[in-house]
Amino acid sequence: MIADAWTVFRKELVDALRDRRTLVMVLVSAVAMGPVLLLALSALVSGIEKRAEAREVTVLGIEHAPTLHNYLLRQTYTLKPAPADHEQQLRDSRLADPVVVFGADFEAQLARGEQPVVEVVGSSGNQRAQSSMRRIVQLLEGYNREQATLRLAVGGVSPAALTALQVQERDVGNPATRAAQLTAIVPYFVLMAVLYGALNAALDTTAGERERGSLEPLLMNPAARTALVLGKWGAVASVGMLIAILSCLSFLPGQWLLQSETLAALFRFGVPEALSFIALLLPLAGALAALLMAIAIRCRSFKEAQANATGVVLLVSLLPLLSLLNQEGEKAWHLWVPALAQVTLMGRVLRGESISGGDLFLTLALCVAVAALGVAYVARTLRRAAVR
Amino acid sequence: MIEVQGLTKRFVQGWGRKARSVQALDGVSWRAADGAITGVLGPNGAGKTTTLRMVAALIEPDAGSVHVDGIDVAREPRRALARMGVLSDARGLYPRLTARENIVYYGRLQGMAPAAAAARADTLARLLDMQALLDRRTDGFSQGERMKTALARALVHDPANIILDEPTNGLDVLATRALRQALRRLRDEAGKCIVFSTHIMQEVERLCDHVVLVSHGRTVAQGRVAELNAAAGQVDFEETFVQLAFTADERLDRSAP
Repeated sequence: MIADAWTVFRKELVDALRDRRTLVMVLVSAVAMGPVLLLALSALVSGIEKRAEAREVTVLGIEHAPTLHNYLLRQTYTLKPAPADHEQQLRDSRLADPVVVFGADFEAQLARGEQPVVEVVGSSGNQRAQSSMRRIVQLLEGYNREQATLRLAVGGVSPAALTALQVQERDVGNPATRAAQLTAIVPYFVLMAVLYGALNAALDTTAGERERGSLEPLLMNPAARTALVLGKWGAVASVGMLIAILSCLSFLPGQWLLQSETLAALFRFGVPEALSFIALLLPLAGALAALLMAIAIRCRSFKEAQANATGVVLLVSLLPLLSLLNQEGEKAWHLWVPALAQVTLMGRVLRGESISGGDLFLTLALCVAVAALGVAYVARTLRRAAVR
Repeated sequence: MIEVQGLTKRFVQGWGRKARSVQALDGVSWRAADGAITGVLGPNGAGKTTTLRMVAALIEPDAGSVHVDGIDVAREPRRALARMGVLSDARGLYPRLTARENIVYYGRLQGMAPAAAAARADTLARLLDMQALLDRRTDGFSQGERMKTALARALVHDPANIILDEPTNGLDVLATRALRQALRRLRDEAGKCIVFSTHIMQEVERLCDHVVLVSHGRTVAQGRVAELNAAAGQVDFEETFVQLAFTADERLDRSAP
């Protein structure tokens, strides 16, 4: 029995690994995608940081406001003239900075104490410009405060009269928690990798085998059905696990390439985290392999099996979103749902929290149960409806 | 030796009121001796494939029994399968494996050692004249090449009983001749019990020592070709077949212009 299972396992593994085109697709889409996304994110963040450090303001009509011009220069800001079609450029996201617009009689109104209006023009659809809005507004309010303080001082009033209280922000989140907001996408990507890694192999060894007409001859061998199914399951799970390992490790070199220092500091995904992820994902790969095989075993063609597997694929892709979108934190039942449980625990790893042995055992036991049920169901199906 | 006795099978399709049942087999009995080629001949839908699937333990009969070298297939299917080489009408190969790997895989599943299975693949390749194919992946094989590979795969454990379901389907004249040659050698040199199903008269006349005529799920006649001709009072085997396999009404219906 074990010898037969081993024979099937080796054959199925060779077969799956020779399916180069599918493997390359999985590797590109599931394994390489995460790090690539990470790099894109880093380019975006470093761009924002660079603009913040650059101390530049894009202005229109600054010649009407010499006083403010003086203030901006004193704050060591460099002024950039706005292009004529800046509104269109902001709408099209071609301009990355909000534009400060001064009216023609700005200086006169200011002198008369008439509160001239300064417009800060941005576009809510333009992420890059929007991220600088708050900075520019604060800069302009700095001028307000300066003027108020000066006027009060001239009148002999203490500036403290304007500020009854002092407001100070204090962030109690530890760096790992802050980082987890950003790294929350990592579990999602590795989960997808495991799913897609196992999907093709699972369908190929079940529905694909039936479609090729090789299932019937296979069943005419004196090997026990359970041995055949165990061998197949082992091979599918191994492919899933291999992809899981590759996917987890792919984030390690990815983060060395991070351009943004802030992001690099926030993205806490080192070798210990990668190993914890792998430990969590291996049982899940086994469970998913068995589940997908159980769904596909009754299907007559690969296509039909793909359609039937869509439910599982959707569910596994959407469950992590539950924990991404859910603002209320994790619930106890999350650990009772395979896939969601892994995402939850991977989230804890990223936040630097410890995972209790009980939780770990629960998720492991659930995966083993799903795998065992799936394998038993496939073996039973092969025993009964062998031909049709 | 294979003995089939009183097999019956009713297939039910659909559920509830829409369910329709088909009596696929209604008492099929025959006996295939060692060192002989037995042909199971019958029109389309007569129950040939169903019978052979029951012999290969893929379908359980409603009633009746199959014994292979005295082993009850229903009771000990795996022991019986070890004594059979079956080429069923589904003869899918693994396209990403070479012909040799396909053959050795089945040898291993039959419990052979790797070296023995590999050696057997070479022997069979000589018998079936397919040495050039052995180390090619089966992806792009022609019908004839597929059939040879599937046959070699079925014979890898050197079974005493060989069962072939319409083996000449899709083969050209030369490939059919080569197959006939191979089957005769297996019968004469190794004394195998060979059963094959077909609906082609010439196959039966050229090759079979014993003919079993199946029609409407029943065995309607069996014996040598000459014996059957004599029983039907015909000279031409095709006429004998039509007379024995079809009812008078069917003959009128089908031959009407």
